[in-house]
Amino acid sequence: MLMRRWVGWVAAGLLAVAAATGPAPAAAQESILVGASLSMSGPFAEEVGPFKKLMDTWADMINAKGGIRLGNRNVPIKFIIHDDASKPDESIKAYERLVTVDKVHILLGPYSSPITVQASTVAEKHGIPMIALEANSTAIYTRGFKWLVGVIDDGPKWSHHYFDMLKAEGKVKTMAIVIQETGHTKEAGGGAVAKAKAVGINVVVEESAPARPVDYTPIIAKMKAANPDVVFVAGFPAFNVAFYKQALEQGLNPREYHVIHHGSAFRKAVGEAQANLVIGENYWMPGIKKGNWQMFEEMLQKTGIKVEDYPWAGIRMFGLDALKATLEKAGSLDREKLMAAAWTVDMETISGRLRFQKKGEAANPNAEGQGTLNPFPTQIQDGKYVTLWPQDFATGKHVFPRGAR
Amino acid sequence: MLAALPSILIGGILQGGIYALGAFGLSIIFGVQHILNVAHGDVLMLGGLLTYWLVTARGLSPFQAFFIVLPLFFLAGVLLQRVLIRPIASKSPHEFLIASILVTLGVSLAVSDITSASMTQPVSVTYPLPTLQVAGLAFSSVRLLFLAMILALTGAVHLFLQRTFLGRGIRAVIQNREGAMLVGVNIPRVSTVTFGVGTALTAAAGTLYVVLLPVDPHMGIPLTMKYLAIVVLGGVGNLVGALSGSMILGLAESLVGFTLGAEWSLTVAFFLLVAILLVRPRGLFG
Repeated sequence: MLMRRWVGWVAAGLLAVAAATGPAPAAAQESILVGASLSMSGPFAEEVGPFKKLMDTWADMINAKGGIRLGNRNVPIKFIIHDDASKPDESIKAYERLVTVDKVHILLGPYSSPITVQASTVAEKHGIPMIALEANSTAIYTRGFKWLVGVIDDGPKWSHHYFDMLKAEGKVKTMAIVIQETGHTKEAGGGAVAKAKAVGINVVVEESAPARPVDYTPIIAKMKAANPDVVFVAGFPAFNVAFYKQALEQGLNPREYHVIHHGSAFRKAVGEAQANLVIGENYWMPGIKKGNWQMFEEMLQKTGIKVEDYPWAGIRMFGLDALKATLEKAGSLDREKLMAAAWTVDMETISGRLRFQKKGEAANPNAEGQGTLNPFPTQIQDGKYVTLWPQDFATGKHVFPRGAR
Repeated sequence: MLAALPSILIGGILQGGIYALGAFGLSIIFGVQHILNVAHGDVLMLGGLLTYWLVTARGLSPFQAFFIVLPLFFLAGVLLQRVLIRPIASKSPHEFLIASILVTLGVSLAVSDITSASMTQPVSVTYPLPTLQVAGLAFSSVRLLFLAMILALTGAVHLFLQRTFLGRGIRAVIQNREGAMLVGVNIPRVSTVTFGVGTALTAAAGTLYVVLLPVDPHMGIPLTMKYLAIVVLGGVGNLVGALSGSMILGLAESLVGFTLGAEWSLTVAFFLLVAILLVRPRGLFG
């Protein structure tokens, strides 16, 4: 009797323990964690703010097809994104958190060269691969960093396709260039001056202007006196808007205006009528059918993002393509293998062929890791952005001169 | 150079005119109350911002917005003076000056922070008008219209100061505060109206500014420094001096921008101001 009672108590106790601990948990599902900071607030939010949903949509579409192929298994992918408030120091904090707390496997870069140059130090410090996106300043890639590659080509080559087009057409003989005194625009403008001369265009006026918009009457007066075929404006949108408006007010009437950033911020500020036939640069516009363009168009449609309003969406797309290729080539989440795999990426994207240039291959002999993608000249024609050059990317004809229609 | 000279001169005069509207305000405020309004440049920015909103959200023209901004900012100036400046007016002159700097600096920082929270990019107003062609030269119609408005406003301020009792009272206080009190000028009332007028003039300058150039949340203090330089150059409390100083600065920036490059214009203009002050330490008309 005592024995039976004792066995009963033991059995009850075992049952209680089993109930308390519950069924054994299923093994946690493996995910590829990709970390990034994004300017969801602050001045850059107008450029890239909605890109979180673009990236999440891409991940959902990839995962719906089974995920990323890692070796002999498919693994879902997930983004962990923190707001950097458009500030380099906030971006550094975000990336430190991504690496040390969120334990991501690989990083994507933030928006802009000034932020990337700081954020990439975190990747280098922790030895984790980073694929930089909207960052093309030469200074980023000449530091000898081992854990960084970037998808877009050198800043000075920003308008090279445009000048190739002008050379092929042979109609432009003279050009006046004004350059805003900031890092990116100085590189793009300096590159334009050099390339213009290389293709035989006479640069009749070359002026720098302070970063903050000022009265440009003296510069405009010089340009009017020189009567160039093309006025080339190398600035960010606020600068470009101020210069362009003042130029039109004061009767500066070249055969063409080139404004390197002529997205919706420029177009809406100067007005649709005045923006017509202005040329600038974009990495992708509707009508270009290269690489994974169908997936990109589906992503844009699902997120409601218009590439005319957010031109850097194209860079995000081929950055994501490069990320996928890196992961699949590595077949593993080992950091060394991921970085080695990144260097072997050579693929067709929506903007053309992408690979990461080894030391000595880029324009600056000390640069390594810069991508090979440059933007194309696009002309605003009746509110639409028409890609003009190279011919296998062109979606329409170059209207020249401005009064031609 | 000769063909470009008319455009450069008009540009310099227009820039000088916009400076003058803001400098008038700072000059009379300092002349009457002996306070340095560090937030003065922010008033121009706010005038520009309100104009931007009235044009883009309400569909008004900048000229219509001008007649809304002017009285609104007069009232804002009156309120600011009553709420923030009058309570510290009983301090000694030295303490009052320091306190006014601190108070208005606080206003400037608050304005900058609040506006930058909502403004992610600089804003400007587009108001295209046909270019005016005269003798083969092209002139901006917008700029010529703005010049006319500045001249009209300057004339109105001059008439106000010369022909109205309140205006004469302001001049009397600037010349001799104690003497003005003795002859019955209501000092507190004059101080309040002066602050309102000064604020209104600067905000009006903002209405014109935002059509020519973008406004951004952080432009206030650098602009105040420019106004201060003009006031010192022209002689404190002297409107002819403020106008002259503004024109010198505007024309210097324009001519230097043409000959040496836009990046040098501000540096050279300030060296010019310093050189003038070395010759005439009390300013041109001080």
